[in-house]
Amino acid sequence: MIQPPQIDFSVIGALTVLCVWGIALLLIDAFFIAEGQKRVTGYLALAGLAVAALVGLPSWGQSSNTFSGMVQLDGFSQTLIWIFLLAAAITIVISLDYLPRHDIEKGEYYPLVLFATAGMVLLAQSTNLIVMFLAIELVSIPLYILAGFAYPRVTSEEAAMKYLLLGAFASGFFVYGLALIYGQTGTVQLFSVDGSDSIASYLDRATLVAENNVFLFAGSALILVTLGFKVALVPFHNWTPDVYEGSPTPIAAFMSVGTKGAAFAALLRFLVQALPNLQAIWMPILAILAALTMIVGNIGALKQLNVKRMLAYSSVGHAGYITLAVITGTTLGTNAFLFYILAYTLTNLGAFAVLIALEKQGESAWSLEDLSGLWQRQPLLAVAMAIFMLSLAGVPPTMGFVGKFYIFSAAWEGGLVWLAAIGVITSAISAFFYLRIIARMFMYEPTRAEEASLSRALKVGLAVAAVAVLLLGLIPTPIIELVNNSLLVAAR
Amino acid sequence: MTQAVSLEYVLIVAAALFCIGLFGALARRNLISMLMGIELMLNAVNINLVAFWRYLEPSYVTGQVFVLFIIAVAAAEAAVGLAMVIAVYRSRTTLQADEVDSLKG
Amino acid sequence: MNTLGFPILSMLLVLPVLGAIILLLVPRENTTLQRQITLAITLASFVISWVLPITFNYNPGTIDASTPPVMQFVDQFPWIPAWGMSFALSLDGISLWLVLLTTFISFVVALVTDSMVESNKRSFLALLLFFEAMLIGVFTAQDLFLFYLFWELALLPAIFMVGVWGRENRVRAAVRFFLFTFAGSVFMLLGIAGLYILHRQATGVSTFDIAQIVTDIRSGAFELGIVNERILFGAFLAAFLVKVPIWPFHTWLPDTYSYAPTPATIMIAAVMSKMGTYGLIRFNVMLFPDTAAWAAPAIGILAVIGILYGAIAAYAQSDMKRLVAYSSISHMGFIALGIFALNPVALSGAVLQMVNHGVTTAALFLVVAAMVARKGSYQLEAYSGLWKAIPIFSAFSLVFVLASIGLPGLNGFIGEYTLMQGTMSSSFLGWGFVGFAVLGVIFAAAYMLRFFRGAFMGEVEAEGAQLAEISRNELLTFGLLLIPIVVIGLFPNLLFGAMQHSAADITGSFLQAAQAALGQ
Repeated sequence: MIQPPQIDFSVIGALTVLCVWGIALLLIDAFFIAEGQKRVTGYLALAGLAVAALVGLPSWGQSSNTFSGMVQLDGFSQTLIWIFLLAAAITIVISLDYLPRHDIEKGEYYPLVLFATAGMVLLAQSTNLIVMFLAIELVSIPLYILAGFAYPRVTSEEAAMKYLLLGAFASGFFVYGLALIYGQTGTVQLFSVDGSDSIASYLDRATLVAENNVFLFAGSALILVTLGFKVALVPFHNWTPDVYEGSPTPIAAFMSVGTKGAAFAALLRFLVQALPNLQAIWMPILAILAALTMIVGNIGALKQLNVKRMLAYSSVGHAGYITLAVITGTTLGTNAFLFYILAYTLTNLGAFAVLIALEKQGESAWSLEDLSGLWQRQPLLAVAMAIFMLSLAGVPPTMGFVGKFYIFSAAWEGGLVWLAAIGVITSAISAFFYLRIIARMFMYEPTRAEEASLSRALKVGLAVAAVAVLLLGLIPTPIIELVNNSLLVAAR
Repeated sequence: MTQAVSLEYVLIVAAALFCIGLFGALARRNLISMLMGIELMLNAVNINLVAFWRYLEPSYVTGQVFVLFIIAVAAAEAAVGLAMVIAVYRSRTTLQADEVDSLKG
Repeated sequence: MNTLGFPILSMLLVLPVLGAIILLLVPRENTTLQRQITLAITLASFVISWVLPITFNYNPGTIDASTPPVMQFVDQFPWIPAWGMSFALSLDGISLWLVLLTTFISFVVALVTDSMVESNKRSFLALLLFFEAMLIGVFTAQDLFLFYLFWELALLPAIFMVGVWGRENRVRAAVRFFLFTFAGSVFMLLGIAGLYILHRQATGVSTFDIAQIVTDIRSGAFELGIVNERILFGAFLAAFLVKVPIWPFHTWLPDTYSYAPTPATIMIAAVMSKMGTYGLIRFNVMLFPDTAAWAAPAIGILAVIGILYGAIAAYAQSDMKRLVAYSSISHMGFIALGIFALNPVALSGAVLQMVNHGVTTAALFLVVAAMVARKGSYQLEAYSGLWKAIPIFSAFSLVFVLASIGLPGLNGFIGEYTLMQGTMSSSFLGWGFVGFAVLGVIFAAAYMLRFFRGAFMGEVEAEGAQLAEISRNELLTFGLLLIPIVVIGLFPNLLFGAMQHSAADITGSFLQAAQAALGQ
């Protein structure tokens, strides 16, 4: 007789709300919301996100787990959950107007965003490889569909196909790695709070001779490859520009921050909580990958004249900076990671929102030319974009700047100064293409006369992002306090 | 417990299957063949998991449960993937990956 | 310590920012009101900043290498307590004069902007006021993080002024300007992070307070170790060398100075470039004395190359604005040389020269701009015989040219003389460097007199006779700029007095090292 494990719903509050509300919303949308009124579904989805954010409040500061320790709620995951919910909320807000403008307003869009968000939430909470796998799939499958949501447009379809093939391919690696680790250690639990079997406790016991641990090493490597795919580390980054360019713009924005953040959270847990004893092995490997990612991403962005592709390459470059924070393995590194993810989420969503504002009915407007003289056409939009570009480049007083400083501090503490120096050089390079956009907007004459006026929803999304990036860059104390209290649960 | 074949052989079969799937996913240019390759990779993993369960920890069912998870997820992936293949075929009347190349740069 | 009892430095900082915000509320068309507000704000800051030297404590205590540097007019508010950051502003005898230079030049620029910027004046004036505030912030910030914030924020108005209102290749110049200085700055950011983390690891205290870190370094509580010290020194140096700029990091300068609108050129050349030399003094020399002594000859060589290169390149220019721009490279080389002589005499000379160069360069760029306004050409060949056509204007120009050359009795002479005297007696540089520097002075005379002879001497052209004589506004600005040129030239101790304590404090450890070497 198998005893079903006790489930503590306070641990999976946000996840439950998102999944249940997502399913309910699918039905509500199908039966009660008329064609052309789909915006209402969006508002309902926003309400669901708000509820999911609120259920985390009572348990803030505590750490507990459920499903036999496979799902963990600690300060780290709670903060990430809030960041993902914020990302999802902004994504929905900027979609409200985007979808009808491109004739793809279908109700299932919003529940799919909720499901993907649920996957991100689960990924941040998972302390077990099989849960991690489920979470990755829960993130990915809705996003495959969303990437192809602008389906009659061939590029959207193609983006979805590429994303699916590579995503499924990467999943194959992940489960193979999982199987090998299971064969070696007899468990796929990353670590355990109560001292039961886990990869971390196996490593504590085992003598670390490579011949005895072939499966564990090979399995870990395969899992790192998969997570590398998801966060777009070089050399697994090739899909990023194509998929971002082809996907509907809000979805590209969502993928660039949400999927990336969640996969980095999983990477951090896997490295820091399951394999801390192997840091001497994985740190140099990942440090080199991080260096390559910074270099390839930022140099790739240099030659892009398509702003959307430029942002895709820049997101590859930023993955390098985040990797730097993750692989230090220190508390400061974890804090820096959380801060940077929040900063990057707000900034990048804002930047994509500006692109949405510039898109006209059914056609794309992503070339550098389209930004010419934006200052004279729409001063506030230009100022918002300038704030986002400065934040991506790491110029004060923006959140991106504080985040970069945080990461450099973590690098000094973690002994990765050489990697931080590469980060410094590449961010100097990256300043070129961010500044090019600013120069286009402020220093050139307009080439486009007609103007799509901004909808209210888009204005709200942009204003929230821009003000937050600026204000929290100037007074980052609340966020620093938040991430300082967002500790990973201690193993054993 | 005496085993008819030792664990190594099962693992080698699984690894071979995984590699065949990998090759299929990478080298074939037909979208359906690529999806089939990916399915092969997942099934190789299933063999692995079952073998580890049977040979190493027959008293726990964990390995088997993992297989069920993977089968379910693979089915979901296949459903979305095949739907997408149909969509691609409708708009381009081809399933050759080389001809699906409007995104570049 | 703040003997005044009210936060005068914060006031100086906030006033122009407030002014910029008020400007943005004024209707775009009402340019008269915009001009009046800008003038009122810059004049008010200038007048208020005079409180500083008047109430400054010229003798704040004995010089002792173990005590922290004495700062005055301290304003301190907590900012990011979690990291030990505070909004801390204060002054010593070095930043005192740079703040005064900033408020003075800003006022002069506010006077001339109206005639030199055609479109969108409101935005330009708002940027100018914001620029002024950020520059004051850079010179007064006593918190590393705050310093970096002002440092980068000062760059933003500068690139917009260049890129939006400049001539011909303005966008390329602005982008290049930004990239060079930003590339240097991010290294400094890495350095600040390193200094913060290493200090925290050594002492357990999270702080960005410069005085605190200096105290711990001097007392031995915070030992960097030779490798870390050199890395950090290099990281700070990168930012400052680009900003000054020292050869070979100067390549952004000629384009930026010459394609920027003249008010922006003046702000960048006269004040912003001093951020770099100020940073060298405040960070490289004060925080890392051992490495500074180790690197002094190398930087001295770069400085000397800059002096000669700038002078030779200036001689070869036919574009007058570029000529003045290249002369800046030469003059800034002198200042860097004086700083890395690492003794109080040369350091005082360098600081005085920072003020002198600010005033003289501003005057020279104004002269060029006034000539261009009359005849529309930047080429030296287009001008001839202005002396006969417009004598008063030419007389002013002659004084400015002579001040730049270093004629005794004017400000440039006393600065360069003190600087070279200090360098001569420096135990780190010595007579070889001075020899080349003297060569630079001779070259300076050559290129400036070539400029003056070409444009002002010779025969009056036919159209030259109709050129307008000096206008009232020009008379006012030229007259204003003439005052410090003459006063500093005649009474240099007015400035030297205040900076003596700081100069001795900063170079104290080098003096001890030199004395110890002598005693052995």
